[in-house]
Amino acid sequence: MDNPTALKLFLDEVGDISRFAGKFLTQWFKPRYEIAEFVRQCFVIGYQSLPLVGLTGFIMGLVLTLQLRPSMVDYGVESQLPAIVGIAIVREIGPVITALIFAGKIGSSIGAELGSMKVTEQIDAMEVSGTNPFKYLVVSRVMAAICMLPILAVLSDAISLYGAYLGVNIKGATSFRLFWMLVIDNLAFNDVLPAFIKTFFFGFAVGIIGCYKGYNSKKGTEGVGHSANSAVVISSVVIFIIDLLAVQITDFLGFN
Amino acid sequence: MSQEMVLNISHLYKSFGNNHVLTDFNLSVYKGENVVVLGKSGSGKSVLIKCIIGLLKPDEGTIKVFDELIGDIDDVALDRVRARVGFLFQSNALYDSMTVRENLEFPLRRHWIAVTQEEVNTMVMEALEDVGLVHTVDMMPVELSGGMRKRIALARTLILKPEIILYDEPTTGLDSITGSEIIHLMIDINKKYNTSSLIISHDMNCVRRASDRVVVLYNGICYASGTYSELIHHQDPNVKQFFEQDYK
Amino acid sequence: MIKQPFNNIKLGAFVLSGLVFIILLLYLIGKNQHLFGTSFHLKVRVDNVQGLKPGNNVRFAGIDVGTVKKINIINDSVIEIDMVIEEEVQSVIRKNAMVSIKTDGLVGNKVIEITSAKLSAPTVENGDMLTPKKLIDTDEMLRTLNKTNNDLAIITENLKITVTRINNSKAVWNLLNDESIPKNLNQSLANIRKVTQTAGFMANDLQLMVSGVKSGKGTLGKIITDTVIAANINETILSIQAISKHADTLVKQLNATVADVQNNLNNGPGTVNALLKDSSLTNKLQLSLLNIQKGTDGFNQNMEALKHNFFFRGYFKRLEKEKIKANGKTQTN
Repeated sequence: MDNPTALKLFLDEVGDISRFAGKFLTQWFKPRYEIAEFVRQCFVIGYQSLPLVGLTGFIMGLVLTLQLRPSMVDYGVESQLPAIVGIAIVREIGPVITALIFAGKIGSSIGAELGSMKVTEQIDAMEVSGTNPFKYLVVSRVMAAICMLPILAVLSDAISLYGAYLGVNIKGATSFRLFWMLVIDNLAFNDVLPAFIKTFFFGFAVGIIGCYKGYNSKKGTEGVGHSANSAVVISSVVIFIIDLLAVQITDFLGFN
Repeated sequence: MSQEMVLNISHLYKSFGNNHVLTDFNLSVYKGENVVVLGKSGSGKSVLIKCIIGLLKPDEGTIKVFDELIGDIDDVALDRVRARVGFLFQSNALYDSMTVRENLEFPLRRHWIAVTQEEVNTMVMEALEDVGLVHTVDMMPVELSGGMRKRIALARTLILKPEIILYDEPTTGLDSITGSEIIHLMIDINKKYNTSSLIISHDMNCVRRASDRVVVLYNGICYASGTYSELIHHQDPNVKQFFEQDYK
Repeated sequence: MIKQPFNNIKLGAFVLSGLVFIILLLYLIGKNQHLFGTSFHLKVRVDNVQGLKPGNNVRFAGIDVGTVKKINIINDSVIEIDMVIEEEVQSVIRKNAMVSIKTDGLVGNKVIEITSAKLSAPTVENGDMLTPKKLIDTDEMLRTLNKTNNDLAIITENLKITVTRINNSKAVWNLLNDESIPKNLNQSLANIRKVTQTAGFMANDLQLMVSGVKSGKGTLGKIITDTVIAANINETILSIQAISKHADTLVKQLNATVADVQNNLNNGPGTVNALLKDSSLTNKLQLSLLNIQKGTDGFNQNMEALKHNFFFRGYFKRLEKEKIKANGKTQTN
């Protein structure tokens, strides 16, 4: 390669990631299925991320409510605060904040774990031990990320809404029942389903980029650190790109 | 020593870009024989050993392990071959997230060898006994010293009762005493299970003690071949440089 | 595995709680949109849906009872709205209920409002077509209100000008204060009285004449034999009849005039009213009418007597026959 420009390197990387993702897509449904490892990764990726995701979700719900209240009061629609917060949380805040936190926690840990496994030849050792490391490591993790992020996002929505409920009640009195009715009344399938579906893609992006970065880690501890770091950066950017695409697609399909 | 050939490499070529690592490399290993491949860092020793196990694909040439042509066979057959070939990695490659027991169980379960938990336990304990580390069975790899880790890695390689063991620089990164212990263990095991071994090393202590035959890998070819005592008096400077180092 | 005991239980709880929440959320939204449970359809055709969308609420008496399912364009001026309504309220919505599209609050979503009509009717059935009310949207309402306001402003302005003019106009006030009008009126009434008096005298004369005939004095023979005299009598009677007819219409006209005067000026200010309420005038008027009545009564009696007199019986019978004939003719015609 003679004098590779930044653009060339970028395109090279995108091509590599695409090929890696393509390999995932052709491999994940073929036996052998690494069910035990998948379940273990679900536990690590999903369950163990819940406290962090829940905390950020709760704070986002609370803060969003408190931030929106003055404007709502100005327009005289304070009673619609639960409705607007509910829509904001379910449509955008819940999925995206959860995905970003998820990228920070899981993307980096996958990148670092697979990176160090690569560097210390554990991936080779697995291959020698009659295991397809791509299936054992990559497919299980990416599938776990795809399955767990939607659940995390949904739970984060629930916790966020509870935070919003507390936020509404800091400067006013609304029963939980009324709050909940206002939220539900103003939600439609169009709000919930596209938001839910896009979290699967967020999970896929975080998982596949983390694995790609780890799987192609350079030798040495610096390489592992770089893998973890770039996994977070790239997957965060990709989350926003997917979000942008998702809103265009749902708009195009008339779901907005 | 029987004349049954377990490993045959002929006309092997492998290059990374413009870096031609192996050019027309030939080597045969017979049953029960311990062959040491001697070479400088970056001379392609690790590449050679990874080609044998199928981790890397050679550009040209054939590798024959137990009459199976690596590269021509499918994944299932390759796994069957791999179950009969042990590989001791330079960096041990112990799975950090698993205990010693799980590390040892891993290849057993993955190759569908042992079925019942009882059999698995027996084999794990037997392998740990061979390396003298039974008490570490429920420890994590990070809790172990470098020498212990190497021994656990060896135990993991042994557990499948391989017919060939490929050692990738077994003494690198260890102090000389621990290295000696490892070499001693290797020799014991080879005798006990009558395995052939291909040892990649530039540690002359290891070469002297473990080798039945030494192959010098230089410029991508099998530069010289012979027993330790034959090669030590070799006049070629490219061979001599390894042995001179041994005298210091 | 060994490091994390019960992790499967925790993982299971985690996954289940997530699934339960999303399913609950979807179920509640679906329930809100009346996708579950028994429901029925109602339709309405309007010319403009004013931005109504599928999913908007349908209200009956202010209660959410359903949602808009579909909006179909039938042709350029007819749009059919298909509504899904909870089955529970089927028994209270009647076939003559009215449907209108309204806005939930000033800036809110569109809603369909079903309003009961006053009259009772059978309850609706699945697929019934309801009648739309005149659809009022806020915009149109505000526009109309604006126009009304403008009109009102113009009217008020005109009214103000008129009142000012009346106030400033001496002619009007002069007219209202003119005392010659009641005088003239008085004069007119006096004339009427004169006419009726004349009629009274005439009747008296006739009476005298007839009594002469009764008593058979003087010219009786002549009367019986002389057809010329009979013809004269005939003529006289016809004249009397004409006069009495005139008197009748006169009285009617008088009545109307009096009623008009009363209506127009009963509550009016000034001397006009006072004059009319003058009881003496009324008394005079009444007297006049009484006289007329007396006159005509007397005349009637005389005529009745004439009818029964054998001299004239034949004549009257003939008259009656002709009358019946004429009536029959007009009826057949």
